[in-house]
Amino acid sequence: MEITVTGLNAISNPHLHAWDWRVSLYLFLGGLSAGLAMMNSVLHVRKNGRLAEGDKAAISAPMYVPIILSIGMFFIFLDLESKLHVFWFYLTVQPFSPMSWGSWGLLAFYPISIMYALAMFPENKRSLLAFRQLQELSTWMSRYKLQLAAANFGMGLFIGIYTGVLLSAYVARPLWNSALLPIVFLTSAMSAGAAFMIIISSRKQVKLFFTKIEIWMILAEMVMLPLYFYGQYIASDAQRESIMPFFTFNHEYFWYGLAMLFLVMILPIALVMKYMEITEEHGEELTSAALFKMNLSALMVLAGGLVIRLSFVYAGQLSHL
Amino acid sequence: MPKYAMVIDQRRCVACMACVVACKKENDVPPGEFRTRVVEQTEGTFPELRMELRSELCNHCDNPPCVYNCPTGASYKNKENGMVLLKSYRCVGCKSCVAACPYDARYINEEKGYVDKCTFCAHRVKEGKEPACVATCVGKSRIFGDLDDPKSLVSIALHQNHSEVLLKSVGTIPRVYYIKKFSKPE
Amino acid sequence: MTAKFSRRTFLKTSGLLSAGIAATTMLPDKFLLWAEEQGMLTSTLIPTYCEICFWKCGAMAKVINGRVVKLEGNPAHPGSRGKLCGRGNGGTGLLYDPNRLKTPLINTGARGEGKYKKASWDEALNFTAEKMTKIAGQYGPESMAIFTHGAPTDHFLPLISAFGSPNVGMPSFAQCRGPRDVGLELTFGESIGSPERLDMANSKVVVLFGSHLGENMHNSQVQDFSESIARGAKLIVIDPRFSIAAGKAEKWLPIRPATDIALLLTWINIIIAEELYDKQYINSYANGLDQLRTAVSGYTAEWAAAETDLKAADIIETARMMGKNAPAVCIHPGRHATWYGDDVQRTRALGILMALLGSWGREGGAFFATQASFPKMDSKPYPEPSREPLNLGGYPFAGGEGVTQAIRNATITGAPYPIKGWFVSGTNLLKSLPNQKETIEAIKRLDLLVAVDVMPFDTVMMADVILPECSYLERHDALAVGKGKSLTVSLRQPIIEPLYESKPGWWIAKELSNRLGLGDYFPWNTYEEKIKSQCSLWGINYEELKKVGTITIPNTAKPFITALEQPQFKTASGKIELYSKELEEKGFDPIPRYTKHPLPQSGEFRLIYGRHAVHTFSRTTNNPELHELYPENEVWINASKASDMGIGNGAYVTLVNRDGIKSSPIKVKATERIREDCVYMVHGFGTTGKGLAKAFGKGADDQQLVTRYAVDPICGGTGMRVNFVRIEKGVTHA
Ligand SMILES: Nc1nc2c(c(=O)[nH]1)N[C@H]1C(S)=C(S)[C@@H](COP(=O)(O)OP(=O)(O)OC[C@H]3O[C@@H](n4cnc5c(=O)[nH]c(N)nc54)[C@H](O)[C@@H]3O)O[C@H]1N2
Ligand SMILES: Nc1nc2c(c(=O)[nH]1)N[C@H]1C(S)=C(S)[C@@H](COP(=O)(O)OP(=O)(O)OC[C@H]3O[C@@H](n4cnc5c(=O)[nH]c(N)nc54)[C@H](O)[C@@H]3O)O[C@H]1N2
Ligand code: SF4
Ligand code: SF4
Ligand code: SF4
Ligand code: SF4
Ligand code: SF4
Ligand SMILES: [Mo]
Repeated sequence: MEITVTGLNAISNPHLHAWDWRVSLYLFLGGLSAGLAMMNSVLHVRKNGRLAEGDKAAISAPMYVPIILSIGMFFIFLDLESKLHVFWFYLTVQPFSPMSWGSWGLLAFYPISIMYALAMFPENKRSLLAFRQLQELSTWMSRYKLQLAAANFGMGLFIGIYTGVLLSAYVARPLWNSALLPIVFLTSAMSAGAAFMIIISSRKQVKLFFTKIEIWMILAEMVMLPLYFYGQYIASDAQRESIMPFFTFNHEYFWYGLAMLFLVMILPIALVMKYMEITEEHGEELTSAALFKMNLSALMVLAGGLVIRLSFVYAGQLSHL
Repeated sequence: MPKYAMVIDQRRCVACMACVVACKKENDVPPGEFRTRVVEQTEGTFPELRMELRSELCNHCDNPPCVYNCPTGASYKNKENGMVLLKSYRCVGCKSCVAACPYDARYINEEKGYVDKCTFCAHRVKEGKEPACVATCVGKSRIFGDLDDPKSLVSIALHQNHSEVLLKSVGTIPRVYYIKKFSKPE
Repeated sequence: MTAKFSRRTFLKTSGLLSAGIAATTMLPDKFLLWAEEQGMLTSTLIPTYCEICFWKCGAMAKVINGRVVKLEGNPAHPGSRGKLCGRGNGGTGLLYDPNRLKTPLINTGARGEGKYKKASWDEALNFTAEKMTKIAGQYGPESMAIFTHGAPTDHFLPLISAFGSPNVGMPSFAQCRGPRDVGLELTFGESIGSPERLDMANSKVVVLFGSHLGENMHNSQVQDFSESIARGAKLIVIDPRFSIAAGKAEKWLPIRPATDIALLLTWINIIIAEELYDKQYINSYANGLDQLRTAVSGYTAEWAAAETDLKAADIIETARMMGKNAPAVCIHPGRHATWYGDDVQRTRALGILMALLGSWGREGGAFFATQASFPKMDSKPYPEPSREPLNLGGYPFAGGEGVTQAIRNATITGAPYPIKGWFVSGTNLLKSLPNQKETIEAIKRLDLLVAVDVMPFDTVMMADVILPECSYLERHDALAVGKGKSLTVSLRQPIIEPLYESKPGWWIAKELSNRLGLGDYFPWNTYEEKIKSQCSLWGINYEELKKVGTITIPNTAKPFITALEQPQFKTASGKIELYSKELEEKGFDPIPRYTKHPLPQSGEFRLIYGRHAVHTFSRTTNNPELHELYPENEVWINASKASDMGIGNGAYVTLVNRDGIKSSPIKVKATERIREDCVYMVHGFGTTGKGLAKAFGKGADDQQLVTRYAVDPICGGTGMRVNFVRIEKGVTHA
C-alpha cells in the first residue's frame, strides 16, 4: 500500500509528539512522591511508630514529598503551551478528565502531606519549628497520627495510580490504553518510594525494612511488566503493534530497544542485590561498602522507574489505532 | 437545533488540495500545521491498482475523547449544534486532547500557544456560509449541512448512499461521513 | 465606533485579556466569542481574477486592514464558479513572498553572473529604451523579439509590435497547445479554445490521453470532470502512469509511451469496422470516410496490443464502450500536446475519433462557443515590419503565438537576420523551452535581455535589466473576455497598492513607450481609463463590474447541433476533414499514420513529466503557501524496477540523459503507479535562482534533461518526451 499525505498526521510525521521528557519527568516525580508518601505512612505506623524513632528519614521523608511533587509539577508547568492560563485548571472540575482530577488531587495532596509532616514531627524536635503556632499545630496534629497516616497513604495510592490513569485513559494510544498500566505505574511508584527511603534513611533497621519491601515491589514489577506486554501482545492488532518499538531492535527504535534492555537487566540485578543485602550478615553499623551497594541498587530502581516513564510516554505517542 | 455534519464523497475528490490551502488561509493556520489533509492511498501491484482519496479533518465526534480528556473545559462539544470547539482563552496547552484524538485532528498552534483544530468553520457557518474547505472544494466532494434537516445536502447524500466513518470501532461516533462507492442505502 | 483589530493580534491579546477578565468574572466565553466576531467584521471583499495559471478564475479578495488575508472564488465567474483551486487559494503566497523582486535592477557583471545594482525606475527604463533604440538603429526593430506568457502579454506585445517587430514567441504554442490547436483546426476548422469547450459534465464516457485532470488543475474543467464521475460517466484513461484520474477510471490503459497514435488508429478502425460510428453525422458533416476506412484497416487490435503493450481485449472493449455511448463521449484533445513531434497527427486522430462518434457539437462531447462578441477598440495600426517574421520558423501551420525556438535559432545563427534583443515577460524560458544549452547560447549572443517579472526565477537572473512587476493582486490588467456557452467579461483590479517599488505591467509598458517615442500607442493615462472606455464601448457598466468582478452577456449561444442549428466548419471544404487535403498539399499525411518511435535501451527510462495539483510550472515553487504542500519534486520509478536496482523509496538519485547531462539530486518515489519503461517527474523544480529561499536547490529540473526534442514539421511544436535517462545511485543530499 502506498500512502501520500498532504497535511499532517502520524503517517506524514510519525514523531508528531504532544508530550516529551517534561511530562515523563512529571509522571516520574509525581509517582516518586506518591510512593514516598506511602512508604512514609508505613514507616510511621510500623511497630506503632517505633521503627521510625531516631531515624532522620522520619522527619525528612514527609518533607521530601511536597518538594518532589512541586518539582514534578514544575515540569508539567514547563510543558504547558499557555502558562498564563494555568489557573484554569482550578476554575473548573472536568469529571471525565484524569488530568483535571489529577490536578485537583495533587492540590489536595499538599495540605495532607504538610499536615502529615507536622504530625509526624518528633516531639523532642518540635522546638526546631520556626513559629510557636506551628509547634502548637504539630502537637495538636500528632493526636491524629493514625488517621493522617491513612489519609497520606490513601493520597499516595491515588496519585500513584493517577499517573498511570492519565495515560491509560487515551483510547487513541493503544500502548497506554490498558487497565494494567495504572498498576504498573503504581508498583513502579512504590518501588521508587521504597528506594528513596533506603537512600535517605539513617538506621540499619529502617534500611533493611525497606529493602525487604523493595524486594516485593521489584518482584511485583517483574510480574506486572511482562503481564502488561503479554496483554498487549494478545490483544488487538493496534495494541500488538504498539509494543513493537520495544522489541524491534533497529535504527528507528533504537532508544526503545535500549530502554527494554535496560529494564530487563536492571530489575533482576537490583532484585539479586537487594536479596543479598537482606541475607548478608551486617554488623551493628553498616559498612560503607554495604551502604554503597544498598544505595546503588536503590538508584538502579529509581533509574528503572524513570526509564519506564520516559519510554512509555514517547512510545505511546508512536502508537496508533 | 441544527446538527451539523460533513459528508465526504470520495468518488468526487480529485486531490486538488484546494481544501487544504483554503482552510489554512481562512483560519490563519501557521506554516507546517494543518487542520485538514488529503490522503492518497494506492493498493495493488502494477497494473492492477486501486486508489482511494480521502480528505480528513476533525470528526466533531459525538463521543469525543478530546473533550473528555481536557482538564480545563477549553475543549467542548457545543450542545446546540454538535460542533466540537475550543475556548482558546481557557486552553492551557497541556496537549492532553492532542494525545486523546485518534484522528490526529489537533495540533499545537505554536504562534498562538494553544491547541487548535478544525472548527467546522463555526464563524462562517454562523454567517450562513459554508466552511471554507467546502466552499472551495473543486470536486464538490465535501458536503456540509444539518443532519436534522431532511432536505440538507448532507441528509440527502447520506440517504442515497452507503457511508462509513473512520475508526468506527473506537466508538467516537464521528460526524464526518465518507461515501466510498456508488450504492444505495442497504 | 469599533476599534480595528487584525484577527491575529486580536487573538494574541485575547488570551491575556481573558485571563484578567476570567479571574474576576466567570462569564467570559460569550463576551469573547462576541468580541472575536467584532474583530472579523472589518473585512472587505474585492473581486479580481487569478493569474496563478491561465484559467483566469474569478476571485474575491478578502482584505482586513490593508492585508489580503484570503482569496475565494467568485460565484459569478464561469471558470471558478465560486471555487479556487489549491494554487489560486495560495495566491497571497505570491503577493507576500519575501523573495519578490523589489526594485529595478541593472546587471553589473557578466551576463548570467547574477551581479546586480539597484536602480531607480528612471534609470532602468532609460537604460532599456536606449538599448532598444540602439538595436533598432543598428539592426532594425525586427531584431528585438518578445517572449511572453500570460497577462503581461497584453501590455508588452503591443509595445514590441509598435516598436516594429513581428517576432513574438509564447511557450503556449510550440511547447504547449500548438499541435492540438492546429490538429483540430485542420479537422474541424477551429480549435477547442481555452477554457476548452468540452461538455464533460454530461458525458457518458470520458477519454483522457495523458490529460491528468486533478493534477492538471484547470478549475472549472476539473469541476466538470468530477461532476461527470459523480453522474456515472465511464472514464477511460490512457496514461503510462496511474494518475489521479486513472485512479478514478473504469479502464486504465497503461500505454507504452509514444504509441498513442497506434491505439487511436486501431480504435478508429474498430469503430468503422463495427459500424459504431454516427453514420448520419458523418454523412452530413464529414468527408473522406472511405479513404479513412482504407487507411486504418490494417490497424488491428492484436497489432496495437503488441505496439502499445495493452491487451487486445481491452482495446476492443473500450472502443465499443465509446461507440455504444456516442455521441455523449468526451474525447479530451489534451492541452500540453507537444509530446513526440507527431503531435498534430495525434490530435488529428483524436479529432477524427470525435467526429466518428459524432461528439463535436453534441451534448456530452464538445460544444460551440457563443457567437456573441465585443466590438474592437479603435487603435493606431502597428507599423508594417520591413522584414519577414522569423517566429513562424517556416512551419506551414505555425500559429500567431509564434514558435519560440525559431526565434531562439535565429538568435544563435543570426540568419536570416540577427535577433539582438529579447524582451521577456511572464515566462521562464530556461524552464519552458527544451534544450537549455541552446537558450543560454542564444542569450549569450544578445545585446539586450530585458525581463519583466515578479520573482527572481532562472531566466530573470540572466537579464541585463530586471523590471519588477507587481503581482496580479496589485494591478489592473486587460479585461478578460471568456467565450464559452456565453460571453463573459472579468475585471482585474488592484486589491492593495503595489508593494516595494514594483509597478504594474501597463505602467512599465507605457513608460517605455514614452521613452521610445511610441506614446501614441498608449493613449490613456491609467489603465483603468482604458478599461473604462472599453466598457462604455461594450455597453458594460464599469462601476457594476468593479463590484461584481464578472459580467455575463445574456446568452445567445447555440452550443449544440439541432435540426435548426446546423454547424459550419471553417475548413477548406466546409466539412469535417477526416481526410485533409490541406495537409496533403503541404506534403504531409492526409490521414494520420503510425510511425514507431525509439524506445529506451536496457538500463534506460523514457523521461516523462507532468503537473502537480498545487504548482504551476516553475512559478509557484517558491510560493510559501504552496511550497509547504509539495516542496520538491520526486522521480517516480516503478517499484519492482527500483528494488531490482537496489533503490529505496525516498533515496536521492541523479538522472543522466543520453547527452550526459546530469540532474541535481532528486528523491525517489518507488511506486507501483508507473510502467517499468519510464520515469516521471513534476515539471518546474530545480530552480537555479539563488534569490529564491524556498525553491533554490529543491528537486530537479526536467527541462535540463530535455536536451533533445522532436519538432513537429507541421507546426513547429517541440515534442519533449523523447529523452532517455539512466539512474545514478548513491547521492547524498541534505
Ligand atoms: N496544477 C497545474 N495544472 C495545470 C498547469 C500547471 O502548471 N499546474 N498547467 C496548465 C497547462 S498550461 C497545461 S498545457 C496543462 C497540461 O496538462 P495536460 O494536458 O493534462 O498534460 P499532459 O501532457 O497530457 O499530461 C501529463 C500526463 O501525461 C502522461 N504521459 C506521459 N507520456 C505519455 C504518453 O506517451 N502517452 C500518454 N497517453 N500519456 C503520457 C503523464 O504520465 C502525465 O500523467 O495543465 C494545465 N493545468
Ligand atoms: N520540460 C517541460 N517544459 C515545459 C512544460 C513541461 O511540462 N515540461 N510545459 C510547457 C507548457 S504546457 C507551458 S504552458 C509552458 C509554461 O511556461 P512559462 O509560462 O514560462 O512557465 P513558468 O515556468 O511558470 O514561468 C513563468 C514566469 O512568469 C513569471 N510570472 C508569474 N506571474 C507573473 C506576472 O504576473 N507578471 C510577470 N511579469 N511575470 C510573472 C514567473 O515568476 C516565472 O518567471 O512551459 C512549457 N514547457
Ligand atoms: S476527531 Fe479528534 S479532535 Fe475531533 S472531536 Fe473527535 S476526538 Fe476530538
Ligand atoms: S491543550 Fe487546551 S484544549 Fe487541549 S486538553 Fe489541554 S487545555 Fe484542553
Ligand atoms: S471546516 Fe473549516 S476548519 Fe474545518 S477543515 Fe474545513 S476549512 Fe478547515
Ligand atoms: S478540495 Fe475537494 S476535491 Fe479537492 S482535494 Fe479537497 S476534498 Fe478533494
Ligand atoms: S485554475 Fe487555479 S490557479 Fe488557475 S486561474 Fe483558476 S484558481 Fe487560479
Ligand atoms: Mo501549457
